[in-house]
Amino acid sequence: MKIVLDRPRCEGHGLCEEAAPQLMHLDDDGELVLDREQVDEADAALVNAAVRVCPVAALRIV
Amino acid sequence: MTTPPTSDIDLFADGVVLDPYPVYAELREQGPVVRLRKNDVHVLTRYDAIRDALADWESFSSASIGFNPMTNEALAGTSLASDPPMHTQLRATLTENLSPRALRGLKGRIEVKADALVAELVEKGTFEAIDALARAFPLEVVADLIGFTGHVRDNMLRWGQAAMQVIGPMNQRTAESFPIAGELYSWCSQVRATDLTEGSVGRGIFDAEARGTVPPNTAGHIIHQYLGAGVDTTVAAIGNIVALFGSHPDQLDLIRQDPSLVPAAFNEVLRFWAPVHAWGRRTTKDVDIDGAVIPAGAQVAILFGAGNRDPRHYENPDAFLVERNPIDHLSFGYGPHGCAGQGLARLEAHAVIEALSRRVKRLVVGPEVRVPSNITRSIEELPVLEVIPA
Ligand code: SF4
Repeated sequence: MKIVLDRPRCEGHGLCEEAAPQLMHLDDDGELVLDREQVDEADAALVNAAVRVCPVAALRIV
Repeated sequence: MTTPPTSDIDLFADGVVLDPYPVYAELREQGPVVRLRKNDVHVLTRYDAIRDALADWESFSSASIGFNPMTNEALAGTSLASDPPMHTQLRATLTENLSPRALRGLKGRIEVKADALVAELVEKGTFEAIDALARAFPLEVVADLIGFTGHVRDNMLRWGQAAMQVIGPMNQRTAESFPIAGELYSWCSQVRATDLTEGSVGRGIFDAEARGTVPPNTAGHIIHQYLGAGVDTTVAAIGNIVALFGSHPDQLDLIRQDPSLVPAAFNEVLRFWAPVHAWGRRTTKDVDIDGAVIPAGAQVAILFGAGNRDPRHYENPDAFLVERNPIDHLSFGYGPHGCAGQGLARLEAHAVIEALSRRVKRLVVGPEVRVPSNITRSIEELPVLEVIPA
């Protein structure tokens, strides 16, 4: 599966990073960087958690 | 497919707004959507139904967030009351100065302020928590941030309160608040850059307008939204922190032992007592929720507090447990309209919780006083009778 970030919508709340630090982080400017976009089933729980906590629904799984 | 169950509960009756949780439980058991005959609204009561509706802006339009037509008319064209694609542009403008990114420089200053205020109150030993902390702190932070001085600063609380109150149905509380909300409105429509402190966020919005990054003549509207949406709700949340820590000393102890619980504790405060009682949407088409259909064009009320206590989603929902960390609580809304000021609210609340848990061992609080209010659910007075310092 693939994580997709709707960049204009992302406001840098960073809650997704807290949920899945292995997959994404905020850079020094407070911009979200997806370290891995393509993730395998083993990480499904992590990805779901990150998508779920984003308060503005800026993350999606395709 | 059927019509939703109905109820004769009046969502805005004094007794209900003062203590909505028994009513929420009753409605939630009736179904995820219930039609209230008296208010002519469809209420969403269960966690999943609420979260889905907040994400689905195409079916649930924000053109009717208020429960009276006058307020919806006044809010037309603002970020709060518009749908994408227009909303997307307005929202970006609104959050430009409010996103965690923009606020990063502020964290240290907010923490110093919270700590100084809490230290002073602990020293005093007894105080009235709502005036001395819940109102004082966000007022100071927001006034300094936006750059308010003088009579505007003095009126922020009254104006902020009225701006929330008028979102309710046309009852007496709404009618009495219209003139006060009007004062805020007319001030915002005339405010000029020079009315705001140099170097403030408010000034920044006017600079952005001059540069063309913000559409012409919108700076005042943006300031209106900061004040209208951000003050009363934050006051409520901070008052709730003090009250809940006072009544749950064991939970305060947990934070004292493990300061990394501060963000989790704030999430639990917001889940346990949602600062906003009801918020409107209007259906753009027939919407099927678990087989019950809300007709197109219906006024909907989202009951954040009911969803937050839904046992289908949270185990033992009526217990206040700071270790729960309900990061997906509904009190900030969710999706495109998720609270634009939540980054600032978190900064403020975390600073207060942190300072309290560091300086206070126990708060002995007296009975909380509440007054009925349409939209914001907050404590009016909360005596702290004794502080046992840490
Ligand atoms: S939680 Fe959402 S808004 Fe925040 S950084 Fe992640 S994607 Fe962006």
